[in-house]
Amino acid sequence: MKARALLGKLWSWFWIVLGVLYFFTPLLATFDFSLRARKGMLTFLAYEHIFKDVNFWRTFGFSLQMGFYTIIVSIVLVVPTAYWIRLRLPQLRPLAEFISMLPFVVPAIVLVFGLIRVFSGPPFHLTNTFTGTNALLVAGYVVLTLPYTYRAVDTGLAAIDVRSLTEAAQSLGAGWGTILLRIVFPNLRTAILSGAFLTLATVIGEYTMASFIVGIKAFGPYMSLVGQNKTYESSSLAIISFLLTWAFMGLIQLFNRGRAEGQLAGAR
Amino acid sequence: MSFLTLTNISKSFGSTDAVRDFNLEVEKGELVSFLGPSGCGKTTTLRMIAGFELPTTGVITLDGQEITHQPPHQRNVGMVFQSYALFPNLTVAQNIGFGLEVRKTPPAAIKERVEEMLALIHMEEYGGRYPYQLSGGQQQRVALARALAIRPRVLLLDEPLSALDAKIRTELRLEIRRIQQALGITAIYVTHDQEEALSLSDRIVVMNRGRIEQVGTPTQIYNYPATEFVAFFVGQLNVLPITDLDPATSSCRLGGQLITLESVAVEHPLQDTPHLAIRPEEFDLGPARQPDQNQLTGRVETLIFLGAIVRLRVEVAPGLLVSVDLFNSRELNLPRAGDEVVLHFPRHACWLM
Repeated sequence: MKARALLGKLWSWFWIVLGVLYFFTPLLATFDFSLRARKGMLTFLAYEHIFKDVNFWRTFGFSLQMGFYTIIVSIVLVVPTAYWIRLRLPQLRPLAEFISMLPFVVPAIVLVFGLIRVFSGPPFHLTNTFTGTNALLVAGYVVLTLPYTYRAVDTGLAAIDVRSLTEAAQSLGAGWGTILLRIVFPNLRTAILSGAFLTLATVIGEYTMASFIVGIKAFGPYMSLVGQNKTYESSSLAIISFLLTWAFMGLIQLFNRGRAEGQLAGAR
Repeated sequence: MSFLTLTNISKSFGSTDAVRDFNLEVEKGELVSFLGPSGCGKTTTLRMIAGFELPTTGVITLDGQEITHQPPHQRNVGMVFQSYALFPNLTVAQNIGFGLEVRKTPPAAIKERVEEMLALIHMEEYGGRYPYQLSGGQQQRVALARALAIRPRVLLLDEPLSALDAKIRTELRLEIRRIQQALGITAIYVTHDQEEALSLSDRIVVMNRGRIEQVGTPTQIYNYPATEFVAFFVGQLNVLPITDLDPATSSCRLGGQLITLESVAVEHPLQDTPHLAIRPEEFDLGPARQPDQNQLTGRVETLIFLGAIVRLRVEVAPGLLVSVDLFNSRELNLPRAGDEVVLHFPRHACWLM
């Protein structure tokens, strides 16, 4: 019996180790390669070059800004919609879920050509100005990240008794604005944050839309350009983008700590 | 004019009639329970009073004002939900003060009212806690305080104790009644638990399939059920086939044994093939001691000890079982399964259905 338990434990560890090796070996190899910019020694020279490159900071700042706008627009659009569907139109949930999944099915290249074709001509002429072009990019990103934001918000809504909370607030005299701002948004904080960071992580590294709408201004096309021209720097950029993603995931954990339990337990 | 009036209320969802021809007048300070099985329309009626559902037809007036189409947030009606519906992101004090905050009440007045409400529910120390840090009973107390904090014109309670365990349910039931009477607030209480309705209410509205079956005080409902449904739904009831019904002598035979009824009961049979109806607790062990008592002989089939009550099933004729509830006491000499017993019950305790 004891030997069997030990065997089971070893078997579990075997799979864990295998999984870790599968995920981390390429990463370690990339990291090792990024440190070999100078022959015969390990150096952070490639990282130095990247951090000293003004285009790195400019493109990263731009994509960060676009990510921020995307999050704001997504939240304003998705939270009330998902809330209303849960509350009043539950029969539309399958349709909403299907629509939210479309960006996984429709390739970004198709989406971006559609956007440019529709919005660059009359009556919109969005691509005639920088603001218009950026707005078009944000709109594209909102669609592209819809699976993450909608799923996160919808899951958050499922964890709270939306109908009872809404009716309780109504019976206490609250109108729709108060309900959304004081009850719905605060109770979806965790879900919104998860969606927001996933959106940010997606937008920061996004290539297709950015390269067709704003070109080299965005971080995705910049990474691609570096990858084409600078061998070691491209590896260091890959590591940096991994670290950024992990940092965002860490932030989600940090913001959620001690809150998730309270939100879920209190919702019952 | 009554404080709360529902006139010819009906509600349909598609082709389903959830509530039909509902008429009710509730006086100020009264606690009226809506009692009925699941799907009988009691919660739908409550939700129409709250404003969460619009009646298909009919008019609702509250304190002389028609509120049929008024949005819920303008009705000043407090509501307590089965699921408590406390705001998870707010503390107990913030939950209680929420309605006052929405009304732009000055902070000092909110603080004072919150403290008053916390004292009312005996939870003065819990103001700073979050809902998830409270037990179910405590959460429902807070929900009650939150609904009362706004000084509602009517308090609506939608099965507020259903999610709680039996002991807490009994305690909180008494507390709800105490608070309702202390504040003199008009309340509508929805429940499917007859014991809850009987113990709490000034009046009970028994509902079935969207219609009112009977409105009356708990004793009226229990002792004088107006319909077969009420008789069956409220309390336990033996419904036994009889033969040889003789209206002249107000008598009949139950499993061959002679039963005499009060004549008035014979004049109002509810079915063409009458049955004898009698509550299990009307029986007592032993032969009839007075001339106005009936006597039945039978054999004990089962005996179930329930603490305060001992429930017997007595076969008074082949295949004819009678349920008998005896109050337990130390002196009670309990029969055993298979023993022959003699039962007696007063004539006025049985009626024909």
